[in-house]
Amino acid sequence: MTKKEIFLTAAFKENSIWRQILGICSALAVTNLMLNSLIMGLGVIFTLAMANLTISLIRNWTPRSIRMMVQTLIIASYVIIVDIFLKANLPEISKQLGPYVGLIITNCILMGRAEAFASQNPPLDSFVDGIGTGLGYALVLLLISFVRELFGFGSIFGFTVLGDWWINWNIMVMAPSAFFILALLIWIINTYYYKAKV
Amino acid sequence: MKDSFWFPIVFMLIMVIFFAGILAVMYRTSESKIQDYQIDTYQRTVLKTLAAKISEASGQSRAEILANYPMSYERYVQELFLDGFERRVFQAIVAGEVVAYCFEIKGNGLWGTMQALVSTSTDFRTILVFDIVDQKETPGLGARIQEEWFLQQFYNRLFVSNPESPTDVTQNYEFIAETQSPETDQQLRRITGATITSDSVLKMLKHELNYIYNNMRTKEL
Repeated sequence: MTKKEIFLTAAFKENSIWRQILGICSALAVTNLMLNSLIMGLGVIFTLAMANLTISLIRNWTPRSIRMMVQTLIIASYVIIVDIFLKANLPEISKQLGPYVGLIITNCILMGRAEAFASQNPPLDSFVDGIGTGLGYALVLLLISFVRELFGFGSIFGFTVLGDWWINWNIMVMAPSAFFILALLIWIINTYYYKAKV
Repeated sequence: MKDSFWFPIVFMLIMVIFFAGILAVMYRTSESKIQDYQIDTYQRTVLKTLAAKISEASGQSRAEILANYPMSYERYVQELFLDGFERRVFQAIVAGEVVAYCFEIKGNGLWGTMQALVSTSTDFRTILVFDIVDQKETPGLGARIQEEWFLQQFYNRLFVSNPESPTDVTQNYEFIAETQSPETDQQLRRITGATITSDSVLKMLKHELNYIYNNMRTKEL
């Protein structure tokens, strides 16, 4: 596969959320505001790309019996780097994201890509796969948070777009709304992309 | 070589040392920035809890006092160090007179310790402003105790109603559902889905105000 094909497959064709239903917990938890989703998305893109690159670089020396431990160590290290960076440079966002940055470690997408792709492919391909998968994840987060923030707060990225006449929908601020929106998104994409293709 | 007994152990050891080293360097270089932010946030919250009283006494608007941080903090707020009193205490002084006190209080939440700042009147009987500094409650449920509507329920509330009691001096408050409207002054709205956390906040305030009142009223300040 070319780099472009790897990227497009990871980001859209085999999108980890709408196709593989991975990383749902954080997709539901941080999508009440677009800014939170963007920062979370950037954190996952960075962690995925760097973890994939590192795991791929050392794949020929990693003993099979301890590969999962090594992968977890690498992923956890990059997540802590993101956490420290946010605490030092973007403390307000770090506070809002709370425990979710640390929980990137438990995001199934990271271990999934490390095991399925990075441990078997060259470094550059793994890096591109990490960027693509992370971007696909961030895209879904932003789509969900766009709807939730718009109807829940009347704003986009914190800027009010619906005037005083707008009555905020409280359900959109609460976590269950993310379930409905994600379900709708998966249904639309399945109907108009995957099934149409068949 | 990869299949030998020692290789996996040595490999893992090298990986741990390498990544722990990177994290240690990164943490060391960011440590002062993180601490500065924590101090800044803490002092701003102290000022927030005292700003209304400072505003009343100085004639400056509340917004102006908050906007002028850290000058306004240095000008009006002073930390007190009292023997035998196990809480951090701050006093707001305007023209040489103490107008309010602020206390750091702690209590148990559902998942861990909560830390809050509460300002009181000079007789320690009324809560002026109350704010949560740190909590470990469930995001989206218990963590909503930091929402303004919940905190504002405690503003300007008389908590010490029985000053002569040797044990419990606090007034009784009760929670009602979040969607209901309080019918009496004793009713407060709890957070939906976070009964234990809401009760913990009230328990913390009751316990701490009791401690503050019983200890501070006898002190010479």
